[in-house]
Amino acid sequence: MAVSEKRTLAGLDVRQAMRRQLVALNVNSKIHQGINTLIKYKVNAVLLTDDKGRPEGVVSKTDVMGAYYAQLPLDSPLSFIMNAPPHYCMISDSLEDALEQMRGLGIYRLYVKDRRREVVGVLAYPDIVGLLYRFCHDCKFSRLAGSSIQKLAANGNYLKVRDVMTASVEVVDQGAELSAVMEVLTAHRFGAVLVVAEGGRPAGVISKTDLILAYRHGLGQAEKASVIMSSPVRSCRKDQWLEEAIRSMILSDIHRLFVHEERADDIVGVLSLSDAARARSGSCQACVSSRINVES
Amino acid sequence: MGTKAKDIMEKEFPTICAAARLTEAIELIRKAGSKGRRVFGLMVVDGDNKLAGMISMYDILLYLRPKHIHIWGNMEDIDVEGVITEACRSIASVQVGDLMSSEAVTIGPEAHIMMVLDVMIKKHIRRLPVVRGDEILGIVYISDLFNHLLGRLPEPEK
Repeated sequence: MAVSEKRTLAGLDVRQAMRRQLVALNVNSKIHQGINTLIKYKVNAVLLTDDKGRPEGVVSKTDVMGAYYAQLPLDSPLSFIMNAPPHYCMISDSLEDALEQMRGLGIYRLYVKDRRREVVGVLAYPDIVGLLYRFCHDCKFSRLAGSSIQKLAANGNYLKVRDVMTASVEVVDQGAELSAVMEVLTAHRFGAVLVVAEGGRPAGVISKTDLILAYRHGLGQAEKASVIMSSPVRSCRKDQWLEEAIRSMILSDIHRLFVHEERADDIVGVLSLSDAARARSGSCQACVSSRINVES
Repeated sequence: MGTKAKDIMEKEFPTICAAARLTEAIELIRKAGSKGRRVFGLMVVDGDNKLAGMISMYDILLYLRPKHIHIWGNMEDIDVEGVITEACRSIASVQVGDLMSSEAVTIGPEAHIMMVLDVMIKKHIRRLPVVRGDEILGIVYISDLFNHLLGRLPEPEK
């Protein structure tokens, strides 16, 4: 199903989707402090600032996982692994432009500056999806709204998971060592990998969060995947409405769902909030109407 | 001379190891609270029983708070029970040391209580560990400080 790129986010700006809670640490903080902050505030990256509070760089879970792989001591300074300088957008930029910037740079977040050039927030893919979800939720054409659902559904206007999912899944055996798990995640730029048992049966998931916790807890890289994987695998049906899947992720604080056919152990893809943002989808083609409805 | 931190500190206090599961901290806070004093936080110790940080109800609730709650708006059909169940599930792999505030503010036993008051106000804290070197001697709760300083006020006339 073709998704109207220009219409979905047209007229929206960064201000409407950004988060104003800025999670920052001093650039001289240690890696273990960085991990604590990433876990405690449930963020994927921390802004690093100098002694005067000026932004110097960013450390993401990916960077911390790299430190784990490189076996850096936990009391190494975060400046060893930061990316500098941070990338910015302006609070008045359009979401379309911000998304283009993120895609062009291959990054997952932009820090947001106001007119005085001060950093006032952060914008990441899930924030955009969250905004779209809220519009869809309040829309008179929403599937939750009753009669109009039948008409729109019949016209095929509602998106399903299969329309935006990534139709490939990387797996590791539950006996794989953590170093091998990190290599898979790095090679494919995935946030999580499916862990399978004998016969390819899904047994669990290992995310970057699980790996940085393993690092923090002092686990060696020779530990098996099964030791730190989370289970059961959170999944949804390929034919499930996209709106339902996004809702499930947003309300459950998870960034991805594995996608299965009719049988739950037949995993055929992954749906992440980033996928949904990059596809610029709400949950249906009526989102222009829904947005006007909300704003009025 | 005057009242010092050691004079008003609580000498019996619960601690928890940084490597303990978060669920253990939650249980300890709940149990400690059922014994009379309401406990809102715990001192966290490392393997050598040295103070490693503090963990409070606030730290735990912060972790439970859904990340995207700011976009929930007035969605009244949210299954709050389900959200909490999901959040509790994610706690399983988290240790106390992952969420604790590691730079705990402390004070010595000989500190004057007005100094205790000053530290609590400036640092916005309600629990202040009393330490001598690496040894934890006790903890001053803001309620003890409040009662000590204001307990001498005559009761208002009715």
